[in-house]
Amino acid sequence: MGANVLAVAEHREGKVSAATYELVAKGRELAARTGGSVQVALLGKDVAPLAAEIASRGVEVLHVEHEALAAYTAGGSVQALTALAAQTGPRIVLCAHTSQGFDFAPRLAVEWNAPLIANCVDLGFEGGSLLASRKILNDKMAVELEVTSERPYVATLRPGSVKPASPGGASGPVTPASVSIDAAKNGRTFLGYEKPQGVDIDIGAADIVVSAGRGIQKRENLALIEELAKTLGGVVGASRPLTDLEWLPKTRQVGQSGKTVRPKLYIACGISGAMQHIAGMKDAGLIIAVNTDPSAPIFEVAHVGVVANVLEFVPALIKELKSG
Amino acid sequence: MPLNLVVCLKQIPNPDLQFQVSADGKDIRRDALNYKTNGADEYALEEAVRLKEKHGGKVTAITVGPKRTEQMLREAMAKGADGAVRIAFDDAAAIDPVQVGRMLAAAIGKRPCDLVLTGVQSDDYVYSATGPVIAGVLGIPHASVVTKVEVGDGGLKAWRELEGGDQEVVFLPRPALLTIQFGINTPRYAPLPAIMKASRQPIEELKAPDLGKASWDEFRGPYAIAVRRVAPPVAKGRAELVPGKVGDQARAVAQMLRDKGLFRR
Repeated sequence: MGANVLAVAEHREGKVSAATYELVAKGRELAARTGGSVQVALLGKDVAPLAAEIASRGVEVLHVEHEALAAYTAGGSVQALTALAAQTGPRIVLCAHTSQGFDFAPRLAVEWNAPLIANCVDLGFEGGSLLASRKILNDKMAVELEVTSERPYVATLRPGSVKPASPGGASGPVTPASVSIDAAKNGRTFLGYEKPQGVDIDIGAADIVVSAGRGIQKRENLALIEELAKTLGGVVGASRPLTDLEWLPKTRQVGQSGKTVRPKLYIACGISGAMQHIAGMKDAGLIIAVNTDPSAPIFEVAHVGVVANVLEFVPALIKELKSG
Repeated sequence: MPLNLVVCLKQIPNPDLQFQVSADGKDIRRDALNYKTNGADEYALEEAVRLKEKHGGKVTAITVGPKRTEQMLREAMAKGADGAVRIAFDDAAAIDPVQVGRMLAAAIGKRPCDLVLTGVQSDDYVYSATGPVIAGVLGIPHASVVTKVEVGDGGLKAWRELEGGDQEVVFLPRPALLTIQFGINTPRYAPLPAIMKASRQPIEELKAPDLGKASWDEFRGPYAIAVRRVAPPVAKGRAELVPGKVGDQARAVAQMLRDKGLFRR
């Protein structure tokens, strides 16, 4: 029996998030193996252009228009998906592991009394069971889970785990779906967005980014990173812990909740490489990582690794560059 | 308007350390682990204590875990929690966040509560699920990844962190649950007299019957989640390591930057 996959599209301010197309790709792979099909649930108001855009990746879109879905809420998504699933009977619901996906997916699992398998890096079916690969403890261990359920599985997929489905080929159909939603059950009310004010430099526009992480140990040591960036004609970025400590402004944060950068050269100084950081820099042209811990996950995405104390290596590098 | 605040804490193996696979290959070795309070939960606790200091009320710290977690609860009391509850579910691995969330919800649902705070994620399993599961079971609204809270009459305003640096502002009626993001505040250290005092305070212990179930298994859903394998991750890519001492490494990297035209001088 084929396993139907319901992938939940994510969008904000008229733009489909890249994670949506990763769900399409993974959904397609799951469905292909079991002879099922993939449908994308698009929930919103006035989102017809987004439906067409998603369908252009060759996938069927279930387009739900509703006043109560004008702004994302967990309650609205749970109501809409519950109604949709009653119509389509998915074997698995795929969500992105994002501030939206991990906001509603747990509630969906509770509502359906279904298993929740969150933050997966891979998923597959084996017989009637779902196999999920996850990473735990700062990505230092991998776990394979076997989940068996009569009810649909609710899974969230870590962004960047699969190659997104690309456009091209025949468009899929856009199927309008109607569901009833009680706005009073949305739980919370959306009031508005707040965006960072652009007073600082834009690290996203720089060709060379030198980023500092917890490995620099003290705020004073930022001067070293600044000097290296200046020597190379680049700018200083940071991992989340440093902007949380307010050693650098939020505008310098590289990662999922900060900026995504694609410079020609990215030097990660004392950054271990949490997924949240890697999501923001993995596509840089040349990545050089400096860290004392040879097992740090940053060395998985870096092209060049320097196992050294960043406080010793950076001054040595500056000296080499200046004396050359 | 005093607030009844509940903060959920988790004690996790310190994720900065190295781990080994257990003999059966289905868990990490737990015989010599160093445990600590989950990072995001420290921020949740601090936020709860600050809300109490501002609005009045009480903070109850609650956890699910074995006896060792009492030390974490005492630390929480030393930092400003007024009471502590331990749900004595003694499964070191506890891999189903919905099962654990249902236990927490059952315990929270038994007491007066205006606001529940949890960390945005636990750094051991990184499900980011416990908070929304509790809210779902209790049928109360929630907001996740919160970086700022304002409590007003009837409800609260919360700022949620989205991808790319934007924030979303939402209103929630009370009671509600928030999952707290790193960096929302600066967690305090416990003063020594408070640590001494907390060491003598009682901790309420709850077992399954106290939560209205015959056994912990009754908190599980109609499905099975089993660990098939735990292993060090297979590296997708691997950096080419620059050999030698620091001086050699710096020379090699400088040369490489010149060769690639990334540094011209």
